[in-house]
Amino acid sequence: MRGLLRSSSLRLAALYGAAFTLAVAALGAITLLTARAALGRVLDQRIASESASLAQEYRTEGLTGVVQAVQERDRTPGALDYGLRGPSGRPMAGRLDGMTAPTGWSVFAGPGRRGEDTERIRVLTTTLPGGYRLLVGDDLERIEALDDALFRRFGAALLAIGLLGVAGGWALARGMSRRIGEITGTAEAIIDGDLSRRVPPAVGGDDLGRLAGAFNRMLDRIQALMESLRQVSNDIAHDLRTPLTRLRGRLEATLAEPVGPAQGAAIEAALADLDAILSTFAALLRIAQIESGARRAGFRTVDLVDIARTVTEAFAPSAEDAGQSLALQVAEPVPIEGDRELLIQMLANLVENSLRHAGQGARVVVSCGEVEGRARLSVADDGPGVPSAERARLFDRFHRLEASRSTPGSGLGLALVAAVARLHGAEATLEDAAPGLEALVVFPRSANIATSQSIGHSLARLERQEARP
Amino acid sequence: MKLLLVEDDAETNAWLKRALSEAGHTVDLASAGRDGLLLAAGEPYDVIILDRMLPQVDGLTILRTIRAAKVKTPVLLLTAMGGIDDRVEGLEAGGDDYLVKPFAFTELLARVNALARRPPPQDTPTRLQVADLEMDLLKRAVSRGGEKIELQPREFQLLEYLMRNAERVVTRTMLLESVWDFHFDPRTNIVETHISRLRAKLARRGAPELIQTVRGAGYCLRAS
Repeated sequence: MRGLLRSSSLRLAALYGAAFTLAVAALGAITLLTARAALGRVLDQRIASESASLAQEYRTEGLTGVVQAVQERDRTPGALDYGLRGPSGRPMAGRLDGMTAPTGWSVFAGPGRRGEDTERIRVLTTTLPGGYRLLVGDDLERIEALDDALFRRFGAALLAIGLLGVAGGWALARGMSRRIGEITGTAEAIIDGDLSRRVPPAVGGDDLGRLAGAFNRMLDRIQALMESLRQVSNDIAHDLRTPLTRLRGRLEATLAEPVGPAQGAAIEAALADLDAILSTFAALLRIAQIESGARRAGFRTVDLVDIARTVTEAFAPSAEDAGQSLALQVAEPVPIEGDRELLIQMLANLVENSLRHAGQGARVVVSCGEVEGRARLSVADDGPGVPSAERARLFDRFHRLEASRSTPGSGLGLALVAAVARLHGAEATLEDAAPGLEALVVFPRSANIATSQSIGHSLARLERQEARP
Repeated sequence: MKLLLVEDDAETNAWLKRALSEAGHTVDLASAGRDGLLLAAGEPYDVIILDRMLPQVDGLTILRTIRAAKVKTPVLLLTAMGGIDDRVEGLEAGGDDYLVKPFAFTELLARVNALARRPPPQDTPTRLQVADLEMDLLKRAVSRGGEKIELQPREFQLLEYLMRNAERVVTRTMLLESVWDFHFDPRTNIVETHISRLRAKLARRGAPELIQTVRGAGYCLRAS
């Protein structure tokens, strides 16, 4: 409903409805004015011809004739209104005799036909020979009744059109917004890593159907590209592992032979370098695989607190030996849907990163909990921190701070953190801990699940672990 | 021990066979999946080392086939780099352990040894003993020479793994995987610090050092 209200198609429908209503209203106004003018002309013609006929009567039959004619017509129902007055202004016959009007057309208020109401009357005043004035008029009731009728009809029509417009717009917007929703949903599923999703094909070949078709073809192309990229990285992994395995084997075999101390040291250094290359390579492949989103299929309920405890316990003794401290701050279990192995590696990378850059005597705190229903994991240190401009770029592959170029590290640790966070729909950020740096991973609301369920899963996991020899 | 190595690269085969033989094992080679399948199903081996990527029949198919034929020989899978799902797939297909290629020979040897003497699953002891070191798995208690030793849960797990694999070399990676569930290589010396703390707790005046460092390979808990 709210989505529909915000939809652009509804806004468009409302806009068109308003424009259409306005056009109908303008059409109504023009019709009204035209009808009124035509009716007015007919009325005027009738008054003028009556006036001329009475004037003719006066000329042929004299004053008596015209008085008689006026009195006679006055009694006839449906006739016009008449008045005759003498040269001194004295009323002589007809209802309109009490009025003073200049010669020619005029409109004034007079008593109604039955005397009870005042009405607006249109009057033609003619001066007859001898100073007599003849008034012929008709009330404007008929025109006003027409106005009224037209107004009422058009009002009803406008209302109907407006309602129809709103209803039609609503239906149109719903249809549009459903189909646009399908496209949006597909796009979002793809962002989340499900590249196999497609927009359902629409019946008929309208523009949205064509958009969906083009969208699907674009997705086919992207999927093909991704597939070939994955194939390339798989090929690299598979094609290189045989020569690299041979290389490592040869070096090890040589080391097993009697060699001089210098050669031995050189071979050992070569092996160490080879392992460093392999580990960088493995990390890159791992990040690529995580980013492909395929791993999500293996998600199950894990407790972030358990992960935080495992990692903190693992690193705490090493931190202490290095003169640093690593503490854990947790309370309630924080169950989320995720990949335990990858979450452990993510947190381990964050902790290692803090311990490496926070310096001597630093205090690193790992904490996790729920804020506004969203699980969050934090690693904060009180070290020198990182300038804000640099922080976001630290998640890029191979990006390293100028200051840390001399220390060992591949520059892939935080890139992996970002990849694992993205896989979980979480957001990894680096914040200013004033002093120090805080790495924060905030999981989406839907990633949290009911605690009772998580206890069930934890029990199942424990049983599995026990069952393992 | 009698081992079967199923791997298609001739040079790697030759090198591994020589090195494994030098370590005292008998090695049969199969360079194609079909040969590997026939040997694995027909001969009794202590451990099968199986490459996942093989011409003709791939490693996982072989594994599923021999498991379906009730062959219970422990299988060590060799997988490619970066394959984060390979391990899970391999274990689900009936593999017992996995190793990412390229690997250090000491790592392979340690894992083969650990697999070969793994006790049958139903045979779960409640007590472990190495020299004067005793571990009660039910009471979660450890003592040396009758003297109680307080251990953190993780130290207990570490010692348990070492005691279960007593007299055998266990590598740093094996410890990371089984004790901490770390399936990656942290750059921090986690294993070293934990081992040194454990050593300090196990140390008794005049008693020999039980946890020995095997240079370039890992650690070994030895009675003497």
